[in-house]
Amino acid sequence: MKKALLNLLKFITYKENKSPKEFYLPSKEEIEEYYYKDKETDSTDEKTQSKPKDSSEIKFPKKAIPVAEIQKKQSNDKPEADDGTISTNIDENINYIKKIFNSPKNKDLVLREFIIAGNHRAFIAYIDGMVNNIIINNFILRPLLTTDKIKSDSGGCQLDEVLKSVLETNQAKEVKEPQEAIYEILSGNTILYIDGCNYYVTNETKGFDKRGVETPQTEGLVKGPQEAFNESIRTNITLVRKIIKSPNLTTEFFKLGRRSKTLCAIMYIKGLVNPALVDEVKRRLDGIDTDFLCNSGMLEQLIEDKSYALVPSVINTERPDRTSSHIVEGRIAIFLDGTPFVIIVPATLPSLIHSPEDSALKWQYATFLRLIRVFAIFLATLLPGLYVAITNFHQEMLPTDLLIAIAKAKENVPFPTIVEIILMELSFELIREAGIRVPGIIGNTLGIIGALILGQAAVQANIVSPVLIIIVAITGLGNFAVPNFSLAFGIRLLRFIFIITGALLGFYGISLTMLIFVALLCNTNSFGVPFLSPIIPKTRRSRDLYIRWPLWMQELRPDIINPMDERRQPPISKKWSVENPYSTKNNIIAKDEEDNDEQKG
Amino acid sequence: MNKKANFGFRETFCLLTLLIITKIFFTSMSTLIGLTGTAAWYTTLISGITASVGFTFVYLLIKRFPGNNLVQIFKKVAGKVLGSIISLLFCGYFVFYTSSNLREFLEMVKAFYLPYTPPSFILITFLITTALLSYLGLEAITRVSTFAFYVVITVIAAIILLVAPNYSLDDLFPIGGYGLKPTLFHGILRSSAYGEIIFLAFIANSIKGGIKNIKKAGYWSLIIGCMITSITILCVLMIFEYVQGNENLSSFFQLSRVIYFNRFFQRFESIFMFGWVFASVINVTFAFFITVYVFSNTFDIKYYRPLILPFIFITFVIAIMPENLSQIIYFNINVIREYSSFFIFTVPILVLIAAVIFKKKGDFKNSNSNKEGDRNLEKS
Repeated sequence: MKKALLNLLKFITYKENKSPKEFYLPSKEEIEEYYYKDKETDSTDEKTQSKPKDSSEIKFPKKAIPVAEIQKKQSNDKPEADDGTISTNIDENINYIKKIFNSPKNKDLVLREFIIAGNHRAFIAYIDGMVNNIIINNFILRPLLTTDKIKSDSGGCQLDEVLKSVLETNQAKEVKEPQEAIYEILSGNTILYIDGCNYYVTNETKGFDKRGVETPQTEGLVKGPQEAFNESIRTNITLVRKIIKSPNLTTEFFKLGRRSKTLCAIMYIKGLVNPALVDEVKRRLDGIDTDFLCNSGMLEQLIEDKSYALVPSVINTERPDRTSSHIVEGRIAIFLDGTPFVIIVPATLPSLIHSPEDSALKWQYATFLRLIRVFAIFLATLLPGLYVAITNFHQEMLPTDLLIAIAKAKENVPFPTIVEIILMELSFELIREAGIRVPGIIGNTLGIIGALILGQAAVQANIVSPVLIIIVAITGLGNFAVPNFSLAFGIRLLRFIFIITGALLGFYGISLTMLIFVALLCNTNSFGVPFLSPIIPKTRRSRDLYIRWPLWMQELRPDIINPMDERRQPPISKKWSVENPYSTKNNIIAKDEEDNDEQKG
Repeated sequence: MNKKANFGFRETFCLLTLLIITKIFFTSMSTLIGLTGTAAWYTTLISGITASVGFTFVYLLIKRFPGNNLVQIFKKVAGKVLGSIISLLFCGYFVFYTSSNLREFLEMVKAFYLPYTPPSFILITFLITTALLSYLGLEAITRVSTFAFYVVITVIAAIILLVAPNYSLDDLFPIGGYGLKPTLFHGILRSSAYGEIIFLAFIANSIKGGIKNIKKAGYWSLIIGCMITSITILCVLMIFEYVQGNENLSSFFQLSRVIYFNRFFQRFESIFMFGWVFASVINVTFAFFITVYVFSNTFDIKYYRPLILPFIFITFVIAIMPENLSQIIYFNINVIREYSSFFIFTVPILVLIAAVIFKKKGDFKNSNSNKEGDRNLEKS
């Protein structure tokens, strides 16, 4: 009874929501003032390892380790692994690996034993199908079995000598922890062990099948590069490195997912990106504790600021050129192995309606396209809602001729407008979903055929009015013109809310919904950056917002992400425009011609 | 982009200007034209100037206690008990203000746009929006107000420009209205119509840039708000002349109905409803938020969010109390727009005098913290 009363009391007691740790992006000045000072203090206080008490203080967790330094760093952090060190007995190591991989039941693990120089027992282990067999046969096994550099009577660990003078693989290194060795095997590498050693040697032998670099599927454009990411994280990183040839372009690796151990990488330009942003991204990635991650969409949901927001708070792209342009602006790209999409943070609403084609076009064309997109968003969100509101509440707005035309078309339709529009919108959504799920060529044609036949039949059967078909079609077109897939999805859902509020309260209902939605957007942040910035709150005037000013006028990087180097180019980036075209080389040519004329004369 | 600040000059200016100009959508203009005739357009300028004088005293009081809002200043000067009583009086006035504005909006919407919709349904949906925005906090309200400000300004500009072919300058004469005496009298009395400027003092510790931006935002919003009001009255007079202008329930709505270019471009008034709703929602929501905020600050209540629901209920009840539109116009709105200045400006002036006499001053060392605004308001 008492418990029931307490539960009842809990039910009516106010509880403040536990908001996640608040992060804001400090400005360059704040970074210089506090960040580096804090870092110095941290380095001197390393021994005491004191943690800042107040969460509002700037603290920068340092858990991420570059992949090249994983072994070194981990050996420093963990001198004794939790699960023990590597045994010097070959049988114990074979049993350990077999046990971990559930072998021999698990047929994927290949563990091949052999003897080197007639005396030293050894084995290699790898996952079948994930390795390049030619490398293993020709550059690991053959040199090991035919080597004369190892004496049969020599005692102790021979791996060091093998690593130095026998193995012919390009990347080979020592692994001193069993867990690390397991990860290497799972990554497609081959580990080598020789009896008497307390470490393994891992060889780069990755050779699983992957898709080649193809044209983008979801972000196609007319003018511009036609390369897209694929499922290989290494290929994706290389595609960006191919575009940004800067030594400061830094890639840091993480392993996400307790079971999937998916490789994740963040990429940024050191010295340009706001270090607080890098640390915040690392903090969020480090803070993910889940067992399985297989695509960027899952990762996006785990690192986004507000789960209830209808709009995405990150940019998803499959284009290396778009990723590069954002990195050069001071943003961070997050790659996930096994997914052809890269996440870019932080995102703002204007950045979601920009297309990679904008920079490739002349500024007049790009501006026109952007305005068309804004108009498309307006149509996709509001048109059906406005139609319902006008026909139900504000008929006086329509010119009499148009009103008569609509009324005539609707004369034989038995349903009210709201039923008609929901029916058609749901049918449209059905066609879209079916078009994606149906395989191959049928899928593409299903959309067109389905929409045509369904629309025509519905009108002929007097189920919907022809005007409504036009409304739904224009709405659909508007939705397809939104360049960001996630944003387009949010708009699709929002449209239904506007239809309902428009049907209930006309323009009044739509206005209220609009205000609530804008307030929610105002309250949304993406990695410390307000989602509606630089419009609300207003920051420095941007020359790449709705009107895309000429490239030579875009001298500064976006203010909202507080890059450490704000200037993109000097005030005069077209230096040729202020130079005398007849100076230097041209002058010399002209002078030579004058001399020749004089000589002839 | 600066951090650790709730909002700066721009947001504050947009918010206050929007609060001031909201009344042009309602009965205020017709009442003023009825009182002063053709002199209405400059009577409102006199009101603006009078309100500026009142604001100067409020500003001097805030300047004396940097980093504090008006509730904290009342407590510091008048003591905890008396200060709390004064704050509660303001809280009560704000509840009255919120409810009256809400009811006025309801009557307008019901008369012009939604005649068949139950009034309680309109009220409830409005209050749900108010509660949601208040729940999101002051920062969200100010940011939304920036968005709403542009929409409202566009609506006003569009109406004024689209009715331009019908303007008649002759309707502005006789320019003296009903004479100097009623013009001056009502000009000074109706400074209450600019009483929204007092809200600034209650959010003083949340404005980035401290006292400098408070001063700038206060005076600029008064100037721009006053000018917009004056121009719209001028336009109404040029269309309806002073006799008919007095009879309109909402002169601005009638103005939007005048738009006629041809059979196709006519009867646009519904589309301007977005501006009406945006302005009214921001007005009511902000006043409601300040009510809750003043109440929670008076009793040092840590969280303001649990108070939203009870105050929504109180607002709803007070809003449905008046029997009809006449009662709203001749009592509630008249009190707010004609007599409220006696309370909202006089009390801070008295507190300022008391602070000077008893030599009470704020901690000027804390004024630096105000440069970056007070984020506690969001959490409180």
